[in-house]
Amino acid sequence: MAIRHDQAIVLRSYPFGEADRVVVLLSPNNGKIRTVAKGVRKTKSRFGGRLEHFTHVDLVLYEGRNLDTITQVAVIEPFPRLRSDLDAVIAAGTMVEAADAVAQEEESSIRLFLLLQRGLKALEAGERGQDLITSFLLKLADVVGVAPSLTQCVSCGRLEDLHRFSFGGGGAICDRCQVEGAVRLRDGITDYLAVLADAELMSLPPGDDRLSGEARGIARRFVEYHLDRKLNSLAVME
Amino acid sequence: MFEGPVQRLIDELSRLPGIGAKSAQRLAFHLLSVEEADAHRLAVAITDMRDQIKTCGRCFNVAAEEFCSICRDQRRDISMVCVVERPQDIIVLERTQEYRGRYHVLGGSLSPINGIGPGQLRFDELMDRLEPEGIEELIVATNPTIEGDATAMYIAREFKPQGVKVTRLASGLPVGGDLDYADELTLGRALIGRSEL
Repeated sequence: MAIRHDQAIVLRSYPFGEADRVVVLLSPNNGKIRTVAKGVRKTKSRFGGRLEHFTHVDLVLYEGRNLDTITQVAVIEPFPRLRSDLDAVIAAGTMVEAADAVAQEEESSIRLFLLLQRGLKALEAGERGQDLITSFLLKLADVVGVAPSLTQCVSCGRLEDLHRFSFGGGGAICDRCQVEGAVRLRDGITDYLAVLADAELMSLPPGDDRLSGEARGIARRFVEYHLDRKLNSLAVME
Repeated sequence: MFEGPVQRLIDELSRLPGIGAKSAQRLAFHLLSVEEADAHRLAVAITDMRDQIKTCGRCFNVAAEEFCSICRDQRRDISMVCVVERPQDIIVLERTQEYRGRYHVLGGSLSPINGIGPGQLRFDELMDRLEPEGIEELIVATNPTIEGDATAMYIAREFKPQGVKVTRLASGLPVGGDLDYADELTLGRALIGRSEL
């Protein structure tokens, strides 16, 4: 048993015992870590609001057999504005839910951590709308190695007439190729998705109301298909 | 393994929250050692609670009749409703002796990550209460967690357009606490919610 130092973003937590919580965090060096915060549900807990969802914290952990126990917490970035806007809470919830689904325990996840941090920072800075989630999900797919092909047909490599999309096939399909289960796309969606996949989260290009909704739907279904699970955060509020 | 009925009681007790096998065994043998009437009183209290307690038809608090004692109390200010997550929260608020309105139990809080959306909570029932009761203010007393905050924001979004005043319990420093140990989020909120002396 040893004491170690780490930093992480709080993904989720759930009640444990009388007044404790199991807190699941994403650390850049150790991936997903599951910890216990003792007495955190009491109003006079020394942790206070430091272990609330989405908070970026510096931790001192006492290693246990199953779960590590948090002994000290200092806030690096509290993201207070995230909590004052329902749309931001849902967007941040989607981000942490997706990151939680792909993160592995005891495995370095620097790219995933940085992506989540940038996503939360963008929300905190006031970036809103469906395009932020779309861009985040496309980047997440890239981080885990399943980035969709958006600029050329996944079947033949053709660069034009990309009007369909195959979730299982891994991206855009041209008009000439026949791929089972491919869905028809509105004109311009693949280009729109490609721009969002490359864009910086903090400075997304101006959104297009005609395409935003469908683009997010494609990104979401693509990620759900490859994670083999639904993203609850978006589904329950629809 | 003990004789049938003893083991059965141990098994049942160990299914209760916070009771492990060892505690269950201790409780079972305690009940075996006390007066028979005492053990029976406990058994009757449990069955009576299950048989007689239902949900209040108005606020969804626990009730022994169609409406709970708070909803039946004529001296209550019916223009004010305090929205809580669970019936246990009502007891805590009642202990303050500062609130004289009615309550509404939502049955939890919005938690999109866990798949709990507005459809799983009693928002529609609250909406149905607005007009008949002439509700003017909703005091949101959900937990100061991200789920509780999301629930409060949802209530503000849905109920303010109905002309109802929506307020949220203040959050800040605990009485008897030390400023040194306050976290950034709590202290920030305490500053925002500061009051003039």
